[in-house]
Amino acid sequence: MVKTKIVIDYSKCGNATGGIDPRQCGKCLQVCDPAVFIRHMAFNVKEDNPYDPQYWQITPVWLSLCTHCGKCVKACPQKAITVSF
Amino acid sequence: MCNWCMKHGAGGKWYLNARNYSYELAEAMNLQAYLEEQWKNFEQVYIRKIMGVSSIGLGYKLRMPIIGRVIRRAVEGMIHSESKNRNPVRADGHFGQVIPIEEAKLIMLNLAAEPIIQNYCMCRLMQKGIKDVCCINFGVLSTVIEKLPRFIPENTKVRLSRDEAAAALEEQNRKGRVATVWFQPVPYICAICSCETPQCGGLRLRMDFGLHTVYKAEYYAEVNPDLCQGCKTCVASCQFGAIRFSPTLKRVLIDPTKCFGCGLCRDRCPHDAIRLLPRDENPLLRGKY
Ligand code: SF4
Ligand code: SF4
Ligand code: SF4
Ligand code: SF4
Ligand code: SF4
Repeated sequence: MVKTKIVIDYSKCGNATGGIDPRQCGKCLQVCDPAVFIRHMAFNVKEDNPYDPQYWQITPVWLSLCTHCGKCVKACPQKAITVSF
Repeated sequence: MCNWCMKHGAGGKWYLNARNYSYELAEAMNLQAYLEEQWKNFEQVYIRKIMGVSSIGLGYKLRMPIIGRVIRRAVEGMIHSESKNRNPVRADGHFGQVIPIEEAKLIMLNLAAEPIIQNYCMCRLMQKGIKDVCCINFGVLSTVIEKLPRFIPENTKVRLSRDEAAAALEEQNRKGRVATVWFQPVPYICAICSCETPQCGGLRLRMDFGLHTVYKAEYYAEVNPDLCQGCKTCVASCQFGAIRFSPTLKRVLIDPTKCFGCGLCRDRCPHDAIRLLPRDENPLLRGKY
């Protein structure tokens, strides 16, 4: 089974890991027709509070529905996304 | 009527049973704390590992031989869980059903527990980055969501009267959204959503992965060939790909096995050519939700 791999460079996008806050951008969410990405609070940024609402990141969740259109790669201002097999 | 009507319908449809909306039930189930836990980190539900498996790449996981079937059974079990030790952060026992607009309005006007609020559709917010005032929540869930600023619309009324809520649902219907009613968790009912594929998480799991997060309505649509003028308006209204225009017949065909019974095609038809019929009364569709 050929599987799509989508990698986000969290040093570029994700404000707990040195990147931008994806709540200020969200371009990938907007351009992806099958809605592959989810924007969510990051996990365990502070151990005592796994739900710290300050820290957000993007995760490509519905990988099997990606059509390899490449729109997210082009739209990402941080050049944080790669799509491959 | 489905399995859930048998269990929680008191002789009728589950979503028309007043008990499922009551504060007594919410209190007996201790839902304030449960829903707070579920909602404060709602967006993490697809990222979180459940029994070692998250939703990331779920489509591939479900296709694996044997393991795929095990995962499917485990996920279905969670979605429909009625167990005492349900886990709020994985949204155990949270699933819904498509309903036509007249039933959505009937629920708002007669059954929903106040206070009623409208808030941002979290599916559209987390998967599209779009702030859309759309979801109608009520009962104990209202006060839970009101404490979470990211879901609360700015410069808009949050608490609605019954009439305003019914009108808001009507407006969503005009925009082309499918009304759905939700157990959260079963058998408590505290939300009516106006959904759109593919960014609705519930419809996504149902349409793309065949999981029963959303059941088809108690109805299905049928077109009257004598009344249909072939204008194709209904085709654009169907989110489930159940309607097709036939150039030969110069009218539309509805595939009842694909139809979810939302009634949007009927609501849009300028010639009153479509009606909803009870699913129960068709031998092929009966029991197929
Ligand atoms: S390549 Fe296209 S379909 Fe795939 S994630 Fe990017 S935008 Fe979405
Ligand atoms: S487009 Fe790039 S920078 Fe913007 S939210 Fe998506 S991953 Fe982050
Ligand atoms: S279930 Fe539907 S209306 Fe509710 S949050 Fe999801 S898409 Fe929005
Ligand atoms: S909207 Fe009504 S009249 Fe027009 S094609 Fe559909 S069923 Fe026929
Ligand atoms: S055919 Fe009509 S009732 Fe059936 S799913 Fe499509 S729009 Fe809804």
